[in-house]
Amino acid sequence: MKKVGGWFRKQNAYFLVGLAMTGLVVVLGILSLFWTPYSTTAMSATERFHAPALKHIFGTDNFGRDIFSRVMQGIGTTVIVSSAIVLISSCAGILIGAVTGYFGGILDEIIMRITDAVNSFPSILLALVVISILGSGKQNVIFSLGIVFTPSYVRIVRSEFIRLRDADFVCRAKLMGVSKLRILFVHILPNIFSVFWVSVTIGFNNAILAESGMSYLGIGVQPPDASLGKMLSDAQGYLGRAPWYALAPGLTIVWIVLGFSLLSEGIRRKQEGQR
Amino acid sequence: MIKIKHLSVAFDGPEVVKDVSFEIGDGEILGVVGESGSGKSVTALTLMGLVAETATVTTGQIYYDDQLLLEAGKPRNEALYRSYQGRKMSMIFQEPMTSLNPTMKIGPQVEEVLLLHDGKKGGNRKENGAGQGVAGWLSERREEKDRRKNKVLDALRSVGLKDVERLYDCYPHQLSGGMRQRVMIAMAVILHPGLIIADEPTTALDVTIQNQIIDLLRKINQEQKNSLLFITHDLNLARRLCDRILVMQNGRIVEEGETEEVFTAPKGEYTKMLISAVPGRGGKKKSVRSKDAKPLVEVRDLNVFYRENANSLFGKTVKKCVVHHADFEVYEGEILGLVGESGCGKTSLSKAILGLNTMVEGNVTHHSNRPQMVFQDPYGSLNPTKTVGWLLEEPLRAQGALEPSKALTEKDRKAAAHDMLQKVGLGEQYYERRPSQLSGGQRQRISIGQALITRPGLVIADEPVSALDVTIQAQILDLIRRLQEELKTAFLFISHDINVIYQVSDRIMVMKDGNILEIGETEELFRKPKDPYTKELLR
Repeated sequence: MKKVGGWFRKQNAYFLVGLAMTGLVVVLGILSLFWTPYSTTAMSATERFHAPALKHIFGTDNFGRDIFSRVMQGIGTTVIVSSAIVLISSCAGILIGAVTGYFGGILDEIIMRITDAVNSFPSILLALVVISILGSGKQNVIFSLGIVFTPSYVRIVRSEFIRLRDADFVCRAKLMGVSKLRILFVHILPNIFSVFWVSVTIGFNNAILAESGMSYLGIGVQPPDASLGKMLSDAQGYLGRAPWYALAPGLTIVWIVLGFSLLSEGIRRKQEGQR
Repeated sequence: MIKIKHLSVAFDGPEVVKDVSFEIGDGEILGVVGESGSGKSVTALTLMGLVAETATVTTGQIYYDDQLLLEAGKPRNEALYRSYQGRKMSMIFQEPMTSLNPTMKIGPQVEEVLLLHDGKKGGNRKENGAGQGVAGWLSERREEKDRRKNKVLDALRSVGLKDVERLYDCYPHQLSGGMRQRVMIAMAVILHPGLIIADEPTTALDVTIQNQIIDLLRKINQEQKNSLLFITHDLNLARRLCDRILVMQNGRIVEEGETEEVFTAPKGEYTKMLISAVPGRGGKKKSVRSKDAKPLVEVRDLNVFYRENANSLFGKTVKKCVVHHADFEVYEGEILGLVGESGCGKTSLSKAILGLNTMVEGNVTHHSNRPQMVFQDPYGSLNPTKTVGWLLEEPLRAQGALEPSKALTEKDRKAAAHDMLQKVGLGEQYYERRPSQLSGGQRQRISIGQALITRPGLVIADEPVSALDVTIQAQILDLIRRLQEELKTAFLFISHDINVIYQVSDRIMVMKDGNILEIGETEELFRKPKDPYTKELLR
């Protein structure tokens, strides 16, 4: 117990609050895979538009489904989809950015002009194009948004590698005979963590919003699966009659984004403190 | 003229200036010397009213000609200070690259000082404007402008700048560091303030330029009869310029006295240590070079180029030659000193020898294994995300990857790192630390250890002690000499400071503008320098 107390005192407030908020979301998301208070698809004509109450704490929707259960399932979908998007785009960003930034030259020019081209389209529009080619569905949302988000990571990683490629410690690593691959990923990469981490945070939040947006447009997750964005889009017809229908998924999105931002800020501060 | 009584300044917590009292007389040049962190700059900034908001003056008062400027416990009187800043006291900073506004031309920038402090201007305009109408007012304005411009030109001339009409319309980036510092001085003296504070005004400049700036400061002091507070870490400079000297350590004044008195008969222990740490022309190292030493590196007719605009797709690349026909060799077990000013091609030459710059003509032949390098900046040359142990072992890992026959086990690597930590004068307890937990001197020790751990035949040390305080500098030079005697590694030791070079080198090579002017045995070169430039360096 004493040990745990000491651990808590060493953390900063950002980290702790963020961890609590994100932890709650993750627990609910995982729990939804096995158990929800009500079935997420069970409809009931008699229980339509019930306001939040003890029986249905977030109320019920236009089909009489329990909103809390659907939010739980939506969290699972949204968090998994956005994490996958961030994972794909940041990994691609590191690989491309590291190589182009460190080596420069003609390859760098070509890749940078491609990312410029990708950047010049609105991201949702570009994702729409990819979806229209591949068809809708969870995997394709992940894939298309993954492509759309890659250029921003490429830019950040590239500029950091350009900054560090002439650093004295990199120069010395070359003299020691360290291989290029090792210089890239063992010597330089850890140094860009704090900058990169900020962009991952922002990217994760953007991915949640983009996924919600795509679902809202009807090209993301398909019914009867629940997603927070899909729920928002369904709720807009009943804003006056059942405001809780829109508020529940909306506030959940805010909660996730805020929690994750705090968590990552906390992690960043911890990292800085170690240096 | 200036009286500072029991001044203490703190930044959220510990005091960085503790109970400092001193006076500056009319026309006096007072030197404040001390190492980084001794509180000399904070004292000056507090006097000038420029110290950061987070600082609090905990005790003491500052008087200027019996006018109370600042008192502990009371907020700074900003209006009073503004009327003193510029007109009655002004400041010259260290960094000539950043203390001028890069987007403003030199002339208007100096003129701004006049505009800000020309209090009468507003009154004049009203009287004349009412009397003579708009045309008269305009011509009056034009005359006034011309007068100001002439005053600026005079000021620029008085600090020894030539072709001032052209300079007036130049931007700072078109000027060299020495010229910029002269412009800064012109700005500081244009209003003939009673007190000039110069905070390390020559530190960022080359030795020969340094001499000129010192001469200029003395000339201004004699002509304008103002007082000068000269802050420096360089005891030689202080000795040459100042009438009286204060020695500061950890925020306190530890010694005060006439310059010659302080240098010839220092009272405090710290002062004695400081003075003995200054690299002088004594205490040369023991040579470990054998009589029949073979050349380790042969450089034959080497030209080194630098490509401008190298990183754009359509830009024309221009090749610039920065080292011309370098021809020399480094022998086994010797320290070859390379001395020259910034921009003379020292670093380009060393990078070409190491193969880091491939735009070369000519030949470099190595007769040893991978040469290593030690850099000037102790903060940039160690990867901040790694531990000291990792850093020391990395060269061994790299060597093992390249030559499997030399691969060491993890245990052997750790033992080698521990051994090297002992050799560079740090204990094993540093193994787990990160570079951020080390001081500049300690980092430089790790850098040296990292360079020597694979026992290379040659190490190139590029200004390894230039970023360090004078006492640390002496320790690091000592370390290099000791390790060199022990391991018999050859060094190419690069420095702008001829005294540092003297202390470590067996032979000396002098470079200027990309040309090697002369190479000779240390003693011989000091006794009979052939080139006029070498003579100037030895002054």
